[in-house]
Amino acid sequence: MKKLYFYLMAATAVLGTACEKKLNLANPDALESEVVFSTEARLKGVLVGNYAALGAAAFYGSDVIWMSELLASDGELNWVGTFNEPRQIITKGILVNNSNVFATYRDCYRVIFNSNNILANLGVVKASERAKVEGEALALRAISYFELVKLFGEKPYIAGNTTALKGVPLFVGPGPSAPQSEFYRAPRASVEAVYTQVIADLIKAEAQLPPTNGVYFTKQSAALLLSRVYLQQGRFAEARDAADRAIVAATGVNQRLVTAYAGAFNNSTNTTEDLFTIQVNLVAGTNSCFSFFSTGTYGARDGDIEVNPKHMNKYTAGDARAALFFFENGFHRVGKWRDNNRNVKVLRLAEAYLVRAECNSRLGTSVGATVADDLHRTRARAGLARIDNPTLANILAERELELAFEGQGIWDAKRLRQSVDGLAWDNNRLTFPIPLRERNINPGLEQNPGYN
Amino acid sequence: MTGVLLLLCSAVFAQKTVTGKVTDSKDGTPLPAVSVRIKGRTSGTATANDGTFTITLPKGTNTLLFSSIGFADQEVDATSAVINVSMGLSASSLNEVVVVGYGTSVKREITGVVARVKGADVQNMPVPNLNQALQGRAAGVFVESQNGKVGDGIKVRIRGATSINGSNQPLYVVDGIPLAGGAVGSSTADINFNDVESFEILKDAASSAIYGSRAANGVILITTKRGRNGKTRFNVGAQYGMNEPTNRRDFLNAQEYISLLRQAGRGAAEYHMRPDGGNNANGFADLPAAYTFFNNLINTRLDRYSGFRPFRGGKDWRPAETGAALVDTDWQDAIFQDAPVSQFDISAQGGNDKTKFFIAANLNDQNGILVTNRFRRMGARINLDNQVNDWLKIGITSNLSKITRNRVPDDNAFSTPMQAVALAPITPIRDSLGLLFDRPVATYYNPLIEFESGINRTEGFRNQGSIYANINLAKGLTLHTDLGLDMIIQNETRYWGPRTLTGAAAAGGTGQSSEYWFRNTRWMTNNYLTYAGTYKSNHKYDVTAGFAFENLEERFTEAIGEDFADSYFKTVGNTVTPATAEGSFARNNLVSGFGRLNYSYAGKYLLSGSVRLDADSRFGSNSKSGVFAAGSLGWIMTEENFMKGIKFLSFLKPRISYGTTGNNSGIGFYDATTQYGPGTYGNAGGLRISRFGNDDLRWESTASLSVGLDFGLFNNRITGEIDWYEKLTTDMLLNTPTPATSGTQAVFGNIGSMTNKGVEFTLNTVNVSGKNFRWSTSFNLANNRNKLTKLDGDQQEILPADSRFANAIIVGKPLGVFWAPKFLGANPDNGDPVYVKTGGGTTRFYDEAEKMVVGDPNPDWIGGINNTVSWKGLELSVLFQGVFGNQVQDGAGGFMSAGFDWFDNQTRDQLGAWKQKGDVTMVPQARLGWLDGNADAINISSRYVYDASYVRLKNLSLAYSLPAKLMTKLGLQSARFYATAVNLLTFTDYPGWDPEVNTDYRSGNVNQGSDFYAAPQIKSVVFGLNIGF
Repeated sequence: MKKLYFYLMAATAVLGTACEKKLNLANPDALESEVVFSTEARLKGVLVGNYAALGAAAFYGSDVIWMSELLASDGELNWVGTFNEPRQIITKGILVNNSNVFATYRDCYRVIFNSNNILANLGVVKASERAKVEGEALALRAISYFELVKLFGEKPYIAGNTTALKGVPLFVGPGPSAPQSEFYRAPRASVEAVYTQVIADLIKAEAQLPPTNGVYFTKQSAALLLSRVYLQQGRFAEARDAADRAIVAATGVNQRLVTAYAGAFNNSTNTTEDLFTIQVNLVAGTNSCFSFFSTGTYGARDGDIEVNPKHMNKYTAGDARAALFFFENGFHRVGKWRDNNRNVKVLRLAEAYLVRAECNSRLGTSVGATVADDLHRTRARAGLARIDNPTLANILAERELELAFEGQGIWDAKRLRQSVDGLAWDNNRLTFPIPLRERNINPGLEQNPGYN
Repeated sequence: MTGVLLLLCSAVFAQKTVTGKVTDSKDGTPLPAVSVRIKGRTSGTATANDGTFTITLPKGTNTLLFSSIGFADQEVDATSAVINVSMGLSASSLNEVVVVGYGTSVKREITGVVARVKGADVQNMPVPNLNQALQGRAAGVFVESQNGKVGDGIKVRIRGATSINGSNQPLYVVDGIPLAGGAVGSSTADINFNDVESFEILKDAASSAIYGSRAANGVILITTKRGRNGKTRFNVGAQYGMNEPTNRRDFLNAQEYISLLRQAGRGAAEYHMRPDGGNNANGFADLPAAYTFFNNLINTRLDRYSGFRPFRGGKDWRPAETGAALVDTDWQDAIFQDAPVSQFDISAQGGNDKTKFFIAANLNDQNGILVTNRFRRMGARINLDNQVNDWLKIGITSNLSKITRNRVPDDNAFSTPMQAVALAPITPIRDSLGLLFDRPVATYYNPLIEFESGINRTEGFRNQGSIYANINLAKGLTLHTDLGLDMIIQNETRYWGPRTLTGAAAAGGTGQSSEYWFRNTRWMTNNYLTYAGTYKSNHKYDVTAGFAFENLEERFTEAIGEDFADSYFKTVGNTVTPATAEGSFARNNLVSGFGRLNYSYAGKYLLSGSVRLDADSRFGSNSKSGVFAAGSLGWIMTEENFMKGIKFLSFLKPRISYGTTGNNSGIGFYDATTQYGPGTYGNAGGLRISRFGNDDLRWESTASLSVGLDFGLFNNRITGEIDWYEKLTTDMLLNTPTPATSGTQAVFGNIGSMTNKGVEFTLNTVNVSGKNFRWSTSFNLANNRNKLTKLDGDQQEILPADSRFANAIIVGKPLGVFWAPKFLGANPDNGDPVYVKTGGGTTRFYDEAEKMVVGDPNPDWIGGINNTVSWKGLELSVLFQGVFGNQVQDGAGGFMSAGFDWFDNQTRDQLGAWKQKGDVTMVPQARLGWLDGNADAINISSRYVYDASYVRLKNLSLAYSLPAKLMTKLGLQSARFYATAVNLLTFTDYPGWDPEVNTDYRSGNVNQGSDFYAAPQIKSVVFGLNIGF
């Protein structure tokens, strides 16, 4: 018995020391957060990962694009898919529990969260690289807040009264590590405050980014994004200048429009015209516009979004852009989104020319080029005749067709004060509701007018 | 030499030889193969064919134990040299030996709550999963198959659910080794339950706390058959039969489809043109214009769905409008298959004083009711025990099996067979070339394509087993040590041909293939000492103490490739473009110590206590280990002198237990730390936050109080148990929703509390026990009330944000109640849906409707009643099982019972839709959901919540055994022919396919009671025979 007791004691002692090791097992599939921001390489890894977050399905991969187009449908599109949440969007009968709406809200903030962490740990990046890394993080944050304030802001910016209008909660520093913290239950900042932040971020990003930066944000993509922001605000001179700077930076590194319009779409690698895209390939990235705009013939769903003659009638004969549509099951389909696993177009050089043209036309200037020259770039490519004395209407019509179904639909309609499906440009139903889920958790978050 | 002889003689004189005969108390026929053991020893013998036995009792032993399956165990003192025993049916289970954690006990002395189901009771049930065989047989054990997919998920709840994020399934322990889980299908389906001797269900803390951090949901101990002394007995069994769906649902036929569609078109037009209606976004000039628009739309669609125009090999739909349909497809015909089932078993069982064995092999082939769905299992078992000498016994338990599953996709996939019911009845199944119709003719992807040109097969290989040694260290002191292994290897092979949805989307449009390998290995060792004895004859005790170590490893690899050079190729290795390579590896260690003391005084006062210490690698650095303890008391009152006078009362034992158990399954192996995983963008590798951690993460803790009464009446012809319990779960792991502004939408923490309270009744009676006729009844009924008592303290609810399902987490309510608007029916004036409005009144707008609890997926009562009647060689067994007081939400209602929200075929109840002013109906006006439509009417509300109580004829079995005389002539031990039916009849008000449902793709602790194109349960009828020789 004594012997036994001894053996038991010995076994317990051995077990005790073995235990410590047995109970601390590291995950071979993930890095612990303490070490992630410890080196430059890992911080840059988080930056790359943040582009993947930007490319999440509900964000630029690419729900925000078809959402904008469904909101702007104005009888030009039909939603015939079985999913009734996108149908709520096209009918402007969005329920507060719409899960597409929530997913977009969530995924925008995920990019912001990552950027804030990167920005707070820039110290580990060597000085020569720091400006670029910071610029990218800022651009990622800016594009997220810009989408948020457009989608969820109480009214469009041009409705005025922007300091009283509610935007979205604004976080520009890293928060506590505990996500349940009160910190994240902030109320909505004003539309003005969000726009101010977006502009400040983009100005800094544009200044610090190089014109060549692989598939990531560049000087010209930040500038074109900035011009979009100014355009929403109706600040045409700033928009013009930013678009001009985008063109100068882009052409400085041999970026130019591709020869054929069809060649600008369904690309696996960036074309010379692409200022920014979301990278999609077989392994990573999603392109939900493909899923909904394309058809079963190309491996998509059943052709959930149909194009009505109301849109097709806008093209004049011989317009190459009309030829890009394909016809299936009695309806035209958007050929820009025809193929699977292709990059999502976010910013194209063509847009910069059209913004510069529009603003020069509005302001009676010819910064960078004449209005007629800028307008003719995309028209010439589409096989259309030159307009020697273009009117603003000519430019806006050209813009509508050149950028059709690339996500600018509702934002152009709003800033141009056009009614959509019988609703005025500032109608409550053209704004998303703050998701029910967010308000359940954060009752201080006020709902947009027109929603419960 | 003389010395040797003397020694031998003295040995002989110290022993005593006993002979005798064992007979059946019913008719006096001899009982062969009855186990005769010497109490306190492992040695023994078995009766011969004529029921006789001879056994030698060593010095100091005086008691014989007689046991045989189906008969009550008997303990007889060997006071004379001839002992004849008459054995009766085991209606009284009080003297049964019951398996408990790390040991055995006698039922009458148990102070915890242990339900026992004998393997013999569920033998040959034609179901793949042992849990299905247990359904309705034990009080407080709720079993629910998610759907009728063979061999897939099953929910088991013992005394209610204790967790939101963890598993609420019990811990399964097979011959001392906890079961590992597979990646595909239900891992308990891997076990051939014809090999099982008994199932012991440990329900309270006193019985389960010795399993510590994994015992909060109860423990099911599965003990397989082992060898017996005596001649080797063979048993051969075979069965064959058919599976069918329990129910079919009525959908619109071709004529009704067209006519209701037209009605829905008119309804939509009228709604849009109403002053308070839709927004007339298409700008119809007037109502006739709107009518025309919808009519044209419908005609275009009918042309398309019939495959008639543009001509694609279909037939004109127009005759259907007048009732002379050229095509009238019931898609259920196409998705349900003829489903034969068969099973073949063979076993041999025998041994001698030194070595005993049980070896068995089985083949089980169950075709599911859904097209291609199939489950096949083949297995072999060897259980071997060897008494090496008087102090050492060693043995092995080994089971090898191969399980092949042909599966069908989850219920939410367009490719799952059941979604074919959405297709139009005017659509033919095949075109003139024999090809299955797909879009654009089919309304949606035709799921049959998935099975005609796809492969979805999982092969699982499972190796479960252990070796053990029992060492007698001293009188009463035994050391048990074992080493066990449970290894599952699963290989899922999938292929999607060029016509499938996935195959067409793949690069080249020529198909896609994937290969998935999963391996789960658990190895473990248990080492414990048992010391049992008696002190001064009145104090009886046994003590168990030991330690255990377990290591669990999960590994998977998956490769997906696209594009094939030739249609002959189907495997991933032959693809042109490799698309995905994935894999992961995870480990978990559990280090434990445990102990138990059982003490009884004078055979009437019982006391038991147990403790376990578990240290688990998965928990947060601040709380790696925990202690779980329980104690219980019992009092056998009928042993008291003052009770002796009450003749009818043969047994009465009040008992009480209290203790704490844990649940470690709420978090993954590495969930306690904040981590970044890989996040590829384009061709660059990046890092993405993959987990928000918490250093304080620990097991969930459940304290249970259980009070009960065991009783026996009229010489134990009536026995029963009444139990009351209350369980309080604290430190519940919750994936607490966080504001999405924090970068994540949820984070884990130990924050919630929940209670379960309930009562259980068990009653076993022998109603008639005649010479030829016998009738016994076993009845159980249980009630459980689950209530969430705390979330994080501030938060009172986690409400659903889903348009199809309404499961909510609300403090003060049971888990998963349905939180949705209350639907009152159609407005008699205009056919609008009517909801109760927030702040009073009614509304037609979904967003204005007040949300409230409109149903509860948790049953109030569950029960079962089994009657067994035998007359001579015939035996009839009838098991009814019931579930009462729960509701089911039909998430697919918004598609299939939605007044043509879209072109999905509708259930026939939609014919009752509102048509004109004054109509009083629960079905709103049918409005083809074109523009504004009726999106308001088809979101989840009480409209799609139904009462799902049911009573089922779970098992009906009629068997005939050949008379003993005839068998002797044939040289057989036994011959039994039987017919068995499972789920033969179902009585319910649930309008869907089957009330026993929880759609697989979202099933969980909160997401309960959901229907979504879930396959109905399987009804089986089989015929079989068992021959013993």
